[in-house]
Amino acid sequence: MKSAARDIVSRVISNERIADRIHDIRFALHSAAEPPLPGQFAHVSVPGVFLRRPISIAGFDPASRIARLIVRVAGRGTDILSHMKTGDETRMTMPLGNPYPIRELTGGEIPDIWLVGGGIGAAPLLYAADYISRLAGGRAGIKTFLGFRDAAAAFGASEFEAYGETSLDIGGFVTDALTESLGKKIPDAILACGPAPMLSSLQKICARSGVRAYASLEERMGCGVGACLVCNCGISKDAGDEVSYKRVCRDGPVFPLPEVVFK
Amino acid sequence: MNMSVDLCGVKLKNPLIAASGTFGFGREYDELYDISCWGGISVKGLTNEPRTGNPPHRIAETSSGILNSVGLQNPGVDAFIREELPWLSRMGVVVIANVAGATTDDYTEAVRKLSDSPVDIIELNISCPNVKEGGVHFGICPKSVSKVTGAVRKRCLKPLMVKLSPNVSDIASVARAAEDAGADAISLINTITGMAIDARTRRPILANITGGLSGPAIKPVALRMTWQASKAVAVPVVGMGGIDTGTDAAEFLIAGARAVMIGTANITDPTAGPRIRAELENFMSENGVDDANELVGSLRTD
Repeated sequence: MKSAARDIVSRVISNERIADRIHDIRFALHSAAEPPLPGQFAHVSVPGVFLRRPISIAGFDPASRIARLIVRVAGRGTDILSHMKTGDETRMTMPLGNPYPIRELTGGEIPDIWLVGGGIGAAPLLYAADYISRLAGGRAGIKTFLGFRDAAAAFGASEFEAYGETSLDIGGFVTDALTESLGKKIPDAILACGPAPMLSSLQKICARSGVRAYASLEERMGCGVGACLVCNCGISKDAGDEVSYKRVCRDGPVFPLPEVVFK
Repeated sequence: MNMSVDLCGVKLKNPLIAASGTFGFGREYDELYDISCWGGISVKGLTNEPRTGNPPHRIAETSSGILNSVGLQNPGVDAFIREELPWLSRMGVVVIANVAGATTDDYTEAVRKLSDSPVDIIELNISCPNVKEGGVHFGICPKSVSKVTGAVRKRCLKPLMVKLSPNVSDIASVARAAEDAGADAISLINTITGMAIDARTRRPILANITGGLSGPAIKPVALRMTWQASKAVAVPVVGMGGIDTGTDAAEFLIAGARAVMIGTANITDPTAGPRIRAELENFMSENGVDDANELVGSLRTD
């Protein structure tokens, strides 16, 4: 597939602190930018740090062409990004990476998709929820499982509730509520994003219940387009197969969860 | 305005070459712009057999550069010739095959295969700091540089460029050793060995513990070594290390480089190729330079 990514200038429309160290920044996209899909990311130039920062797309409105990036302040780069003001401009390459395979999963039917997000991993799932809901004409029952370190870091719960039943776990394991729900019903697929320990645990749970699952991964990134080979992750197509390295930026960031090899 | 330069008998339409390891085999960047704007492309380092490379993390950021420890992940020279080269050799750029290995036999076998392929130049990578065997171990002293260059020279039917490591005590003697053993050109510098530590966890950031530093952080070192090497040898020198603007490129030409390579700039700015080309043209017209060759080795020290 020929990438539709473009390197463009985007302008900040608004920047709101929505939780502890979590900022919701809206960008007006340049007309040359292709609409992003859930799971894709923008590689954002940040003045004052050397490398760009890969930020997942948390929302996109096709009519206004406004994209939403939710940023967790994790270091100097994201701190500078979190201080961007309305009217500030920056370059970003987007949309990059492979999206969650939502269209393939839904196949025209009303989908039964569950979302599992840990911490800042909830961000791309907000766009997934919105996208699935629009695809299903608002009739999709999207079940969401969110987990946060503490109450101050929690965001997005009320937004997810607008799309369907949402469970919120603070300081525990997001997978506990999921395991309970999977005991009653198996959805068409689970889309996930979160820290590696959460995804690793989710991998085992999904294998036990036989549910299809896709996860968006994170790794220290260089070019963001697939050329420099620094953002590698271990992938094994089938259990027992040799582990090969794939590029998180280009072959991912979304991978079928059973194929991901966790340390 | 003439931008073209001659690199050991191969004509480059301009002196800008994408540096190995930052440009893959060209496909990813060709989706963002027409890669024929480059004078040449040095492909991701190739080994005779495929290599998986090092585990993550492979990159650490510094204030004006990066440390990487990819460890020569590549599909192997056969897959390159079969699957990548037919496409790349149609793109209207000089194709430089960067070759690495763990043993002299690895190098000679890969070079033998590439000598039968349509690549334009072979770049001998004896300076990769991120592999356990071979790589930089060949490049650290004049004697070993001479040995591997000489062995490869016998099998190499293409112009042979030897890429030198900066992790040496005397770059001039290493450059001369490569030239004496049959190199048609010298390229330098590869990355400078470094490391990064996470103080909170007291662990190295890179899984390989050490990595290679590149980017503007190393530009002064690279300029100095380009200048020293170009004075030491008669064959053309290709300079690199932290070039991020057209003026940076001009500085390397002035220091004595016939052409330059641009690496890390591709990572921080995916459209660095066409940008730096335009900037170099602007620099030349603003400074009344009609021919890029006028800049080469024009450093004034009087």
